[in-house]
Amino acid sequence: MNDMRIVRKDVDMNDTKISAKGVQVFYGDTHAIKDVDVEILDKTVTAFIGPSGCGKSTFLRCLNRMNDTIDICRVEGNILLDGEDIYDKRVDPVQLRAKVGMVFQRPNPFPKSIYDNIAYGPRIHGLAKNKADLDEIVEKALRRGAIWDEVKDRLDAPGTGLSGGQQQRLCIARAVATEPEVLLMDEPCSALDPIATLQVEELIDELRENFSVVIVTHSMQQAARVSQKTAFFHLGNLVEYGDTEQIFTNPKDERTESYITGRIG
Amino acid sequence: MSDFTADNGPAKAAGKSSLFTQTARTKRRNAAETRFKVYGIGAIALGLFFLVALLFSIITNGIPAFKQTFVTIPVELTEAKLDKNGNRDPADLAKVTTFGYKPLVTNALVAALKEQGIEIPFAKEKDVEDILSSSVAAQVRDTVLANPDLIGQTVDFRLLASSRVDGYFKGRVTRDSLARDKNLDAEHLDVADAMVKAGLMKTSFNPAFIFGSDASESRPEQAGIGVSMVGSFFMMMVVLVLSLPIGVAASIYLEEFAPQNKWTDLIEVNISNLAAVPSIVFGILGLAVFIQFAHLPMSAPLVGGLVLTLMTLPTIIISTRASLKAVPPSIRDAALGVGASKMQSVFHHVLPLAMPGILTGTIIGLAQALGETAPLLLIGMVGFIASNMPDGIAAGFLSPNSAMPAQIYEWAKRADPAYYERAWGGIIILLLFLMTMNIIAVILRRRFERRW
Repeated sequence: MNDMRIVRKDVDMNDTKISAKGVQVFYGDTHAIKDVDVEILDKTVTAFIGPSGCGKSTFLRCLNRMNDTIDICRVEGNILLDGEDIYDKRVDPVQLRAKVGMVFQRPNPFPKSIYDNIAYGPRIHGLAKNKADLDEIVEKALRRGAIWDEVKDRLDAPGTGLSGGQQQRLCIARAVATEPEVLLMDEPCSALDPIATLQVEELIDELRENFSVVIVTHSMQQAARVSQKTAFFHLGNLVEYGDTEQIFTNPKDERTESYITGRIG
Repeated sequence: MSDFTADNGPAKAAGKSSLFTQTARTKRRNAAETRFKVYGIGAIALGLFFLVALLFSIITNGIPAFKQTFVTIPVELTEAKLDKNGNRDPADLAKVTTFGYKPLVTNALVAALKEQGIEIPFAKEKDVEDILSSSVAAQVRDTVLANPDLIGQTVDFRLLASSRVDGYFKGRVTRDSLARDKNLDAEHLDVADAMVKAGLMKTSFNPAFIFGSDASESRPEQAGIGVSMVGSFFMMMVVLVLSLPIGVAASIYLEEFAPQNKWTDLIEVNISNLAAVPSIVFGILGLAVFIQFAHLPMSAPLVGGLVLTLMTLPTIIISTRASLKAVPPSIRDAALGVGASKMQSVFHHVLPLAMPGILTGTIIGLAQALGETAPLLLIGMVGFIASNMPDGIAAGFLSPNSAMPAQIYEWAKRADPAYYERAWGGIIILLLFLMTMNIIAVILRRRFERRW
């Protein structure tokens, strides 16, 4: 209860980070996302829940234009990051992705050393002036990723040699190393065991201090544990969006209630 | 419960089949499986049999080409014959042709035979010279021109025996077969046998076959594959330098950047088709474009390399695209996710992971090009074209030369059976090159293979 009070304070205090209006996504002829409006707040964990194929991952990938890599994908509507339309012609998706980092469903470290995994982003964005700077950035990112103590003695070891949970935390550390403003997480725990999941969830809660975090999850318990805001997607529609507490205890839409109680999904 | 299991134990109820007896259907299926396994083993055994037979025949036929019969005799380099003025002027020395040297060698042979007490069964003693290759006078002359101080001395020379004599010791030539041969008589063989006993004649390893150049049709004992090996080397340089960057750049663009539309589909289909185009078509294309239109020199390894590049490109593009495709998309996502540009994600992450596959494909493509004959014949890179090593790198690319497979083809079609043996020997050398390249490909793949 104590925790929830802090949450409410955070939510009340912070501004809109991403504002989506009338977003439509088409894969060829398939209408994957239908007219979604959502306001994602800064320094808040927002969870997207919903049955498989409801479009929550697709919508997440719209937020840093990862869908650009899919030829047949078409996005309509407006998505504003700090008031700027990210689908504007003048926006370079590469710059956008430096601001909106992403963590994927399966841990995907580069087949390089742990150090190079973290250092890659800062290097290409020119965030470090020299080696000492870079070392510092790497350590800070690994600490934020809650994995520093486990890997500090073997930064030269390959990132692919870590366990699944460690790899995922490495990927989170890699994503925060470029100092993004928003962190998107696409089912970050679905390939992890319960203990690793717990570690990642604790990490997500800590990350909220610095970033706006958007997490897609299949686990309603996870959404309830880590998020302050929850959006429920169904068949490409955003059915309901509100405070996590309210969505799970007092859903307004009967589809949300059915899903939460396990009748659809 | 225990009663129930007991009832269904050994004594089966009527109508229920036991697991211990196979039904007819199961038997048929098992029989089909057994038959298929037998076919498979049979196919593999047949393949292995042919491979072993091929290797056996190549080695037994080709190994003799690496050995040659030599005659070692002291030759007196008479100053009166070779340098009448006695001033060792190179211009004067060069005026004495091989006709001037021939009597010296013949006299030396006759003298050596007499010294060993070997009877010369010819009316004219001079006729015994047919035991030696017709190249020996040139060999002695070259030695003298390179080192004029030898004039006036008696020098031991290791001279090639004629290919008939050589064939006699390798079992290719018999006294019967010489009955129809104008080049050598059975008596020569008697002399040769006596010379072997006396230690004047010996069959030993012949480096000139590996490093030398092709010789005329009448001197198979002198022919070597070295110069065409150099031709092949310069050609492969051209192929590597052109096809690797072009092929890899084309595949990266097609695989990672090109939009998926009917144009790229068309290009893709055409690249696959090009890989199946007969090589002689590339040969005639090269003849028309590079030689007749662009006026590049005939028979030059540069042109051969260009033609083979055209042939190798589809192979490299196909294998490069396959290895780019094999890189998991999660790596690309990871790179894009931290804000790498498309090109950074390709060059920093995808390409290094695809490298072993690309290198393997390139080496396999090069090995294919190395063994290609037909297009080279069309652009004039035939066997006899070069009789000396190219002097310098530029000449290596531009002066007329041959390539190993074309040289082998040239030897195989010559009438003298001594050349047949050399063709097999050339094939051994070519196969050694191909095997080396394939082993390098395997090692590279093992070495750089990474797991993700």
